[in-house]
Amino acid sequence: MSVKESDLKQDTPCTSSLSNYLWRDPPQEKKWADCVHCGMCLESCPTYEQTGEEQHSPRGRVYLIKAVAEGKLSVDEHFANPVFSCLDCRACTTACPVDVDVGGLIEEARGQIRQAVPLKGWKGAVNKFFLHGVFPHHNRLGSLGGLLRFYQRSGLQKAIRKTKLINIMPQHLIELESIMPEVKRSIRKTLIKSKGETKHKVALLTGCVMDVFFSDINDSTINVLTRNGNDVSIPPNQTCCGALHVHAGDREMGRKLAKQNIEAFEKTDKVIVNAAGCGCMMKEYTELFRDEPEWKKRAEEFEKKVVDISKYLHDAGYDKPKAAINTRITYHDACHLAHGQGVRQEPRDILLDIPGVEMVQMPNADRCCGSAGIYNITNPEMADAVLKSKMENVPEDVEMISMGNPGCMMQMALGVQKYGRNQKIVHTVQLLDWAYQKEDGGDHHVRHKD
Amino acid sequence: MSAIRIDTSDQHIINLAAIVGGTRSILYKKADLLAYDCDGFTIHKHLPKAVVFPENTEEVSKLVKYCADHGLPFLARGAGTGLSGGAIPVNGEVIISMVRMKKLISVNLENRRAVVEPGFVNLKLTNSISDRGYYYAPDPSSQYCCTIGGNVAENAGGAHCLKYGVTTNHILGLEVVLPNGDIIDIGRNGVLDEPGYDLLGLLTGSEGTLGIVTKITVRILKNPEGKQTVLAYFDKVEDGSQAVSDIISAGIVPAALEMMDKTAIEAVEAAAFPVGHPKDIEAVLLIEVDGIAAGIEEQINEILEVCRKNKVREVRAAKDEAERGRWWANRKTGFGAMGAISPDYLVQDGVIPRSKLPEVLKKIAQISEESGLRIANIFHAGDGNLHPLVLFDARKPGEIEKALEAGSLCLKACADVGGTITGEHGVGIEKREEMRFVFKEEEILAQTNIREVFNPNNLLNAGKLFPTPGRCVEIKKENNALLGRNV
Repeated sequence: MSVKESDLKQDTPCTSSLSNYLWRDPPQEKKWADCVHCGMCLESCPTYEQTGEEQHSPRGRVYLIKAVAEGKLSVDEHFANPVFSCLDCRACTTACPVDVDVGGLIEEARGQIRQAVPLKGWKGAVNKFFLHGVFPHHNRLGSLGGLLRFYQRSGLQKAIRKTKLINIMPQHLIELESIMPEVKRSIRKTLIKSKGETKHKVALLTGCVMDVFFSDINDSTINVLTRNGNDVSIPPNQTCCGALHVHAGDREMGRKLAKQNIEAFEKTDKVIVNAAGCGCMMKEYTELFRDEPEWKKRAEEFEKKVVDISKYLHDAGYDKPKAAINTRITYHDACHLAHGQGVRQEPRDILLDIPGVEMVQMPNADRCCGSAGIYNITNPEMADAVLKSKMENVPEDVEMISMGNPGCMMQMALGVQKYGRNQKIVHTVQLLDWAYQKEDGGDHHVRHKD
Repeated sequence: MSAIRIDTSDQHIINLAAIVGGTRSILYKKADLLAYDCDGFTIHKHLPKAVVFPENTEEVSKLVKYCADHGLPFLARGAGTGLSGGAIPVNGEVIISMVRMKKLISVNLENRRAVVEPGFVNLKLTNSISDRGYYYAPDPSSQYCCTIGGNVAENAGGAHCLKYGVTTNHILGLEVVLPNGDIIDIGRNGVLDEPGYDLLGLLTGSEGTLGIVTKITVRILKNPEGKQTVLAYFDKVEDGSQAVSDIISAGIVPAALEMMDKTAIEAVEAAAFPVGHPKDIEAVLLIEVDGIAAGIEEQINEILEVCRKNKVREVRAAKDEAERGRWWANRKTGFGAMGAISPDYLVQDGVIPRSKLPEVLKKIAQISEESGLRIANIFHAGDGNLHPLVLFDARKPGEIEKALEAGSLCLKACADVGGTITGEHGVGIEKREEMRFVFKEEEILAQTNIREVFNPNNLLNAGKLFPTPGRCVEIKKENNALLGRNV
């Protein structure tokens, strides 16, 4: 996409009298101006694949977003439907001959919709509970983690499952409950020194979901980093990246969280992220501050520091493990890694560097799995249809599916269970860590507590 | 019926929904319909009455019959990537979307044919059979997403049609729902040369005005043993054009022979798939040969030789499949790439004798200068199929009209040198009037008479393909169709 000088003056709230976008931070004209309606995006879109309806295609959505700005449509529930049915998977941007930022337009449009049509009912409750009540508050997410830990350890989980109380939950929540990872204690240290000589100093985003549900992936990330000469700091005042909020149209909260993270990581040169969704969001913080020049500048500086763990290892270098893990695996491209950050080959190279690993190519590996933040909770039917297509592409004879995003990991685990498969779901960095641990003859899991 | 909860009092909508089995298969609210008010040709826009999604031939037949019986104008739509406006509901049509009929019904390698539903995406056919060593030859640049049904309607071409022919050369049989709802099979079993009129030839390229195709038998080909692509940069368009002529004169039949001019290069290099073409050349040629492996190298050498003779600046063969892939991605996304250098574009589709290439390109440059609009050229040079892309900004008052006029003048220039106005994109709405550049009134009449046999009330895709009628009786019929009356 070429950003022309003349575009810059369009980089202001839509002041056209025709526009039906009435709030701050509307979809930007320069984002849709490049779209010539050619349709090359159609087949890349999972929701178009499922419905065949063009308002649920990237081209159609861009067209409708433009129509609101031209005053042909209003911001109401009918407009909200196609805009919120988008998985924000960004596959269309990869397919687009001119890189139209459909994801960015969708997020901006959602911001307008949420102000025009506040959510009510079940969806409203879910959004409010998670987005305002839990994710922004590390301690509350921790408490939720504690609660879940209690739920799992105390026998309550067994009891609920046994007493069939579970049957009164909505179907998709029952499914999610059944694949809920075991909740462990999260990381409390603020600095973990390199195991050998310190070559680099990096900071780690521990993330909200990652920290509670997948803390062993954070452990693996730290193990892999410290083993390869990195001092790892974990700034304590960091918070949720805000991706879930921005995807849901809550840009105000997104900005709040972004500011906190920009400040928290101000003193570090590299921010390592092991969740593709978070990495992608943090690389787009600038988008949130179009009308706050001061913060925009800081966001631009911040974005440069953010890097996915696989890309970081690939660029900074890592020891090739010597111990073999004999397994047949396949790799799933998380949308926000492949389409969002252009990271495709790096994780595959890491996996192939582990002796004994045999890679089987997954057809359409960069097709969305349907997780998409909390999409699988808010749009369960579509998420499930997308998951079904995804699972049909998982090769029969592999033992593991590797990927780089916690949301995908949960969704794929659900897919494995639901469609009677038996693959283990692993994060790329976990497999590397296991190989190192095997090489060192140590325990499988080294944890970093208090 | 009770299962259908439809929020409208329009009895037609309720009845159409009942045919396709409910609310999930019909769109009728403005916010949903807006995405269907145009196709890849964005200059004319009109809202459809509804969009329905049948899943089998019987449903298509019932929908058509309903529309015919109630005087509702209707048309079929595939992926909506057409470039001449063939799927735009200019009369407020009921759009019958074929995209949910997207199955690959059967593949018969022995007899080299496949049967697909019309919503099946072009490239998916090749992808489904490539592991067995076969492919489907017609490859329009939109093949990533366009449907084979749409390809039949438009008689779509593509880069590789120079050697292998356009869609019509690959269609062996069709199941068609006629405008009264009857279902007919033509080209039964894919046997070549059936007795009687060549209805396959007539239907293919009829732009959705004679019937709705619901099943298609296509020819599939064995993958060529070898394939090689050459890239050549020319400082002068004339030299590039001469090289094209000389390659063909030398007796080589390349699988593809593509050219892009300076403005086109600027666009593809500013877009998502740049390959590093120099900015100061006037033409780049992409030449592909395929066939028996043994002959490839010889042909490539000959092509290199011809290019050098024509003062090529740089010429080389692709070093591997990855490079070849990048060159083609750069070329095939060329139209969309115009978005990187212009807010809107209008693509024309003239055909000229190869020898007239330099003359016509000069004329197009002149049209560009006079109109004040930039014109990029991306084209299938081998078969003289030009695609002048007129760049404009629809937000500027008067610019759409200027672009349309410039496009029309480009077609006039093609017709004037003995060429024609469309090679593969169809006439649609866009080139209706330009049909007069190549046909006399009587010749147009002969064709509309044929349409009347199939589509007597002109309810199916009216207002496309032919110019505004010159006969009163035609006008009367068109008007009746617009008003939704039976004649």
